[in-house]
Amino acid sequence: MSGGPPKALPSTGPQSLRDMPHPLAGSSSEEAVGGDSTPSPDLLTARSFGDKDLILPNGGTPAGTASPASSSSLLNRLQLDDDMDGETRDLFVTVDDPKKHVCTMETYITYRITTKSTRVEFDLPEYSVRRRYQDFDWLRNKLEESQPTHLIPPLPEKFVVKGVVDRFSEEFVETRRKALDKFLKRITDHPVLSFNEHFNVFLTAKDLNAHKKQGMALLTRVGESVKHVAGGYKLRNRPLEFAAIGEYLDTFALKLGTIDRIAQRIIKEEIEYLVELREYGPVYSTWSALEGELAEPLEGVSACIGNCSTALEELTDDMTEDFLPVLREYILYSDSMKSVLKKRDQVQAEYETKLEAVALKKEERPKVPADVEKCQDRMECFNADLKADMERWQNNKRQDFRQLLMGMADKNIQYYEKCLMAWESIIPLLQEKQEAK
Amino acid sequence: MEQATPDPERLWQPAPLEPLSHPDAGLESMMTENNFSLKKIEISVSEAEKRTGRNAMNMQETYTAYLIETRSVEHNDGQSVLTDSLWRRYSEFELLRNYLLVYYPHIVVPPLPEKRAEFVWHKLSADNMDPDFVERRRIGLENFLLRVASHPILCRDKIFYLFLTQEGNWKETVNETGFQLKADSRLKALNATFRVKNPDKRFIELKHYSDELQSVISHLLRVRARVADRLYGVYKVHGNYGRVFSEWSAIEKEMGDGLQSAGHHMDVYASSIDDILEDEEHYADQLKEYLFYAEALRAVCRKHELMQYDLEMAAQDLASKKQQCEELATGTVRTFSLKGMTTKLFGQETPEQREARIKMLEEQIKEGEQQLKSKNLEGREFVRNAWADIERFKEQKNHDLKEALISYAVMQISMCKKGIQVWTNAKECFSKM
Repeated sequence: MSGGPPKALPSTGPQSLRDMPHPLAGSSSEEAVGGDSTPSPDLLTARSFGDKDLILPNGGTPAGTASPASSSSLLNRLQLDDDMDGETRDLFVTVDDPKKHVCTMETYITYRITTKSTRVEFDLPEYSVRRRYQDFDWLRNKLEESQPTHLIPPLPEKFVVKGVVDRFSEEFVETRRKALDKFLKRITDHPVLSFNEHFNVFLTAKDLNAHKKQGMALLTRVGESVKHVAGGYKLRNRPLEFAAIGEYLDTFALKLGTIDRIAQRIIKEEIEYLVELREYGPVYSTWSALEGELAEPLEGVSACIGNCSTALEELTDDMTEDFLPVLREYILYSDSMKSVLKKRDQVQAEYETKLEAVALKKEERPKVPADVEKCQDRMECFNADLKADMERWQNNKRQDFRQLLMGMADKNIQYYEKCLMAWESIIPLLQEKQEAK
Repeated sequence: MEQATPDPERLWQPAPLEPLSHPDAGLESMMTENNFSLKKIEISVSEAEKRTGRNAMNMQETYTAYLIETRSVEHNDGQSVLTDSLWRRYSEFELLRNYLLVYYPHIVVPPLPEKRAEFVWHKLSADNMDPDFVERRRIGLENFLLRVASHPILCRDKIFYLFLTQEGNWKETVNETGFQLKADSRLKALNATFRVKNPDKRFIELKHYSDELQSVISHLLRVRARVADRLYGVYKVHGNYGRVFSEWSAIEKEMGDGLQSAGHHMDVYASSIDDILEDEEHYADQLKEYLFYAEALRAVCRKHELMQYDLEMAAQDLASKKQQCEELATGTVRTFSLKGMTTKLFGQETPEQREARIKMLEEQIKEGEQQLKSKNLEGREFVRNAWADIERFKEQKNHDLKEALISYAVMQISMCKKGIQVWTNAKECFSKM
């Protein structure tokens, strides 16, 4: 981590990006509308309060507050001015190449994490490491601890009922890989989370376990302070906007749950339909063996039904692998978001309570004591971070669902097109006049 | 309800007379009586009506009556005039068919639609009074009459003619023919099937074929009903998307409209299955007709076996009489006979008694030889006529089933196109989210 004097914004940034092969070229990952700007490297080093050497693109000091602002809220303010520009991206992360490791104690899968970046935080321009699920889990926990005011993307489900799902089947591993890739990309696209040290370590460390053991105390002051907010304070007035978000998330999770159940039910019905089709087609074949002139037409119908069965199987597989996991992910996402909202409530409650306590003690000079001020800061930072993240989340959600549902429609269209082709191709066969015996 | 396109086969046309083994079919007399040689006939079963009445045990019952309308079509202008219209119930159709089976055993007699609903998938009712079932039965009964009317031999039957024209007293008229008495007993037929030694090979093959056909079509209809059930389930569950998308759209800003309209398309998708499966029932009915036709084929085979067995028994009887005669004449006893036994027990018979017996046997032999000759002739004629009708039936079957398969494929194509349409519409709505 460079801790040197503030440097000028790299002017060769965009050019060097063009030279780099774009690892995300052609990928279908969502475009984060929340902006992916490159804050000045200098700002990255300003992790503590009161660093007056901040260089801001707009010039001038951070507006509004007399008290030192947190780095994260500053970055967020810069954020909202930037528009999304793919060329300003300077961090690309990909998850691929799952491999099975068989050891005496256990068997597990690792994934290759490839990182390409021009950011100063990275000593090398490119990294390639292998990580397993529990490493991702560690990362997520660390992010939650160190960035409690932000929404951390969800991981695919940790536990898998053994015996029901094969943890090492190609489909399961591929579904998980996609979800893990999505997870890292969402962090990569986040203007604050992508600069988190734990994230950096995750992407770069040769031996992650060693790092885990060190128990790095790299929490930000904000994280530290929020973490220690005691519970038990009663909230007076939840601001409307956060109340609305809470209500929205409740209904949203409910509707997604319903959709998940419907989708599962559809797949179940389709599989049962498939079972019957697989018996139905061959009966035409059996019949065809009895007949003379009708033999070919009947055999043709049998083959046709077989083709439709195959198409149906492809549809159900696709829906199971691509549709259901994304739904589940969003349900997990909204669950974790609700707990962040609760924390925010706690921070506000603490502030309000302390403020009230001060107001009661009329003897105090009308100066607000320091710790109440700190509470106010915490609250305002939290609110700002959360608001920005919610907006980003809403945009991403819209893109994600648009893509997901269009994908579902597409798969169904493809299924019907395959069946249509099969039946249309058989019509000439059925209409054929029989040649003289 | 008129047939949409008058099928030329349905119309009565004069055909060359064919020799029949049952002269009481009344063919010639009917032809001159009714002068149908000049006119063409259209038949339709146009209505079905629920009725209540009293049955044989004077108990009230509910049944369905069907209106049969016959129209004659003038050659020149093609206009049709309603000539007859009467009501018949299913049991009268059955009576007609049973009569035809007895008097035309060499003909593959068209089957009736099923008496009770079978091979139903869950949404369809198995209730005989259900309007959909009644409607499909009406169509089946009309089809039966058209099949009979277009058969070159059956169409000229007097009882059939009276069925279409004589409302009252028809049942009595049929029963007066005494056809029930002429019917072969089931037991006799079963016995013949097991014991016949030399049936015509073609009939053995045909019987085998009709057994297999019956088995495979039954299986097909059963599985098709299950497939229909499952398909229904798939479509209907999609309807739930309509409701949940609507509810979800209420909490969304930009996504709301797209979700709402997509949900509407899901509702359309879910409700489209009802018509699709109703159309498919028509295909199932076409298959069912040939399932029941298999039984008609077997009936012809059984008749042949019976006749062949009868012939074999007559030949055997003749042979044994000849042998008896020979033994008596030469004085040797090679075979066991009751007379021989009694002779042994009670003493030899006188030469006069022996002469008398030989003479009686010779007469019986002469009679037997004549009977055998005519039975032989009958048998060969039966085989010839039956096989002609079987060839006609095969052509009909191949043609009809091909048409049925084509219409089934067309139904599937239509279903696929509808599916593509709906999902394309939904996709567009999603793209506007």
